[in-house]
Amino acid sequence: MSFSTQTAVARSTGSRDGDTIDPVFRQMRDLVYKTCGIYQPEEKMYLLSDSTGRRIKSLGLRGVREYWNLLSSATTRDHEIRQLLNEVTIGETCLFRSQPQLDALRKIILPELVAEKAKQLTKRVRIWSAGCSTGEEAYTLAMNLMEETAGLLKGWTIEILATDLNDRSVETAQAGIYGDYALRHTTDYYKSKYFNVLDDKKLQVRPEVKKLITFSRLNLLEDSKMLFMRGIDLIFCCNVLIYFDAPSKSKVVNHFLTNLNYGGYFFLGSSESLMKLNDKFHLVHFPGAIGYWKPSLESGKQSDKL
Amino acid sequence: MTPDLEARIAERVRSIETTPAIPSIFIPLLEMLRLPPDQVKLDKVVELVSYDNTIAAQCLRVASSPLFGMTKSPESIKGAVISLGLRRVETILLTCCLSRAFPARNWIIDPGVFWRHSLGCALVCRKFAERLQGVDSDEAYMAGLLHDIGFLVNCLAFPDEFSKAMGMAVEQEMSFDEAELQTMGFTHQDTGNALAQQWHLGNRMTQVIACHHAPETSEASVQSLAAVVHLGDLLCRMRGLGYGYYEGRRVDLIGNPAWGILLQEHAELDRVDLARFTFELDESVAEVCELVATIFGGATAAKA
Repeated sequence: MSFSTQTAVARSTGSRDGDTIDPVFRQMRDLVYKTCGIYQPEEKMYLLSDSTGRRIKSLGLRGVREYWNLLSSATTRDHEIRQLLNEVTIGETCLFRSQPQLDALRKIILPELVAEKAKQLTKRVRIWSAGCSTGEEAYTLAMNLMEETAGLLKGWTIEILATDLNDRSVETAQAGIYGDYALRHTTDYYKSKYFNVLDDKKLQVRPEVKKLITFSRLNLLEDSKMLFMRGIDLIFCCNVLIYFDAPSKSKVVNHFLTNLNYGGYFFLGSSESLMKLNDKFHLVHFPGAIGYWKPSLESGKQSDKL
Repeated sequence: MTPDLEARIAERVRSIETTPAIPSIFIPLLEMLRLPPDQVKLDKVVELVSYDNTIAAQCLRVASSPLFGMTKSPESIKGAVISLGLRRVETILLTCCLSRAFPARNWIIDPGVFWRHSLGCALVCRKFAERLQGVDSDEAYMAGLLHDIGFLVNCLAFPDEFSKAMGMAVEQEMSFDEAELQTMGFTHQDTGNALAQQWHLGNRMTQVIACHHAPETSEASVQSLAAVVHLGDLLCRMRGLGYGYYEGRRVDLIGNPAWGILLQEHAELDRVDLARFTFELDESVAEVCELVATIFGGATAAKA
């Protein structure tokens, strides 16, 4: 049940041309959320309807009702929802994808982290981009942290671990070459400071940014490999868990909990929810962003003030 | 707060040149809202509203918003009552009345920003209360709408001091109430309390206004309502319906004492999916902005 009533959708621009939207898309939205934790807001319902259209075509179905039957049937649901999500999230990856998350990192989390680590006399921040795909998120994090090296992080060691299951993605990530589409949210300031222009006009991340990041292939479900990922301050795992079934997802989130330092944070995609998969993480709000917090050992002292 | 300070605030509130004049139908409406539903007469509400065509027209516009739930614009107040129920229409009327009490002049705070936060908070409180058994969602709506009226008193009665507090909050990205305390020595809770008493808003509303940043300090019987407002206020400030500046803080609603207050009486709170609740609030932000532009005038763009 949304803040608006059911009639809101009929009135709203669920599709781009302002037509009313078939209520079956709301059922689909709820099913996708329940299964994968991705919430498709009303104003982006058209993405769901476009993606559904492509799936219907590729499967040779007669229409949206037939597709809904396939999607809601116990035997085909899990596979088909993932296919649909592939369509919905395609092309979403880019640098500087979530500014509210980056603001939270720089304005709220880093000052907190620096104060906490000062007590431990350490000057090292370790961030993990889990499911880094072709590297956009890892480079974005690196550049944002580099912006702080003259101030808050002066004299600090920055380590960014970026892992993905797919070898080819990791290779592409290591090259760090991006076109206009991936750079659509990157300002000229960052482009000129952290990239070199290649002959084909594409931009390549400069070596000083790359050297902060270790890219590697990693299966998030592999217990033995997870032992090497300890002592992490922050994990970014955006739109990755949606591809795991419930038991695997739970296992991965448990790994994250173990790997994070006390007081550390874990971020999902901006429309993604952990859906109470692990009650040891606290859902916390930053302006415009949701994060999951592993309470510090002295969490009583750190709990939010009134 | 010392008795001296309390007296000073009360004195200033009384002596504001343009004391917020509450529309004549506001108090009777508020009183009706407190009555058991079977004692409220539809004809009486219609009669009250018929004195004021502008409010009646605004009420019909708000009633047709998806956030209030009608399929098409109602043609009359009576029609709206039949579709939405008497109590819902009363809350809409009260919302429209409130815009009259504070005409958009001499504001230090951006009126559009202020009303977007207040209406957003009202809607969040209503939605939140609907998830909790035995909590009156219409009362929660009113409490959310009125919780920050102390800011308006500050604009009128303490313009210089409040300007400084606002400057500090924006510059240091801190909570408004902290900045008020540091610069003025009191907050909008104290000035709101004085106005609520002058307006005879009743004990429950007055207490929420006076204690919404510290619900545990309100009377035991009001704590749940104050806790709902406290959480609704925080959530709005984190999701684009705040005070138009970046508030550099992390908000842990589940770790908040207000959550604990509610959980004591409402085990069902544990079942609320806070992430989804947040995403659904995001969907309503644009409509809140439009409604505010309609009812209160001012800018339509969300700033926070």
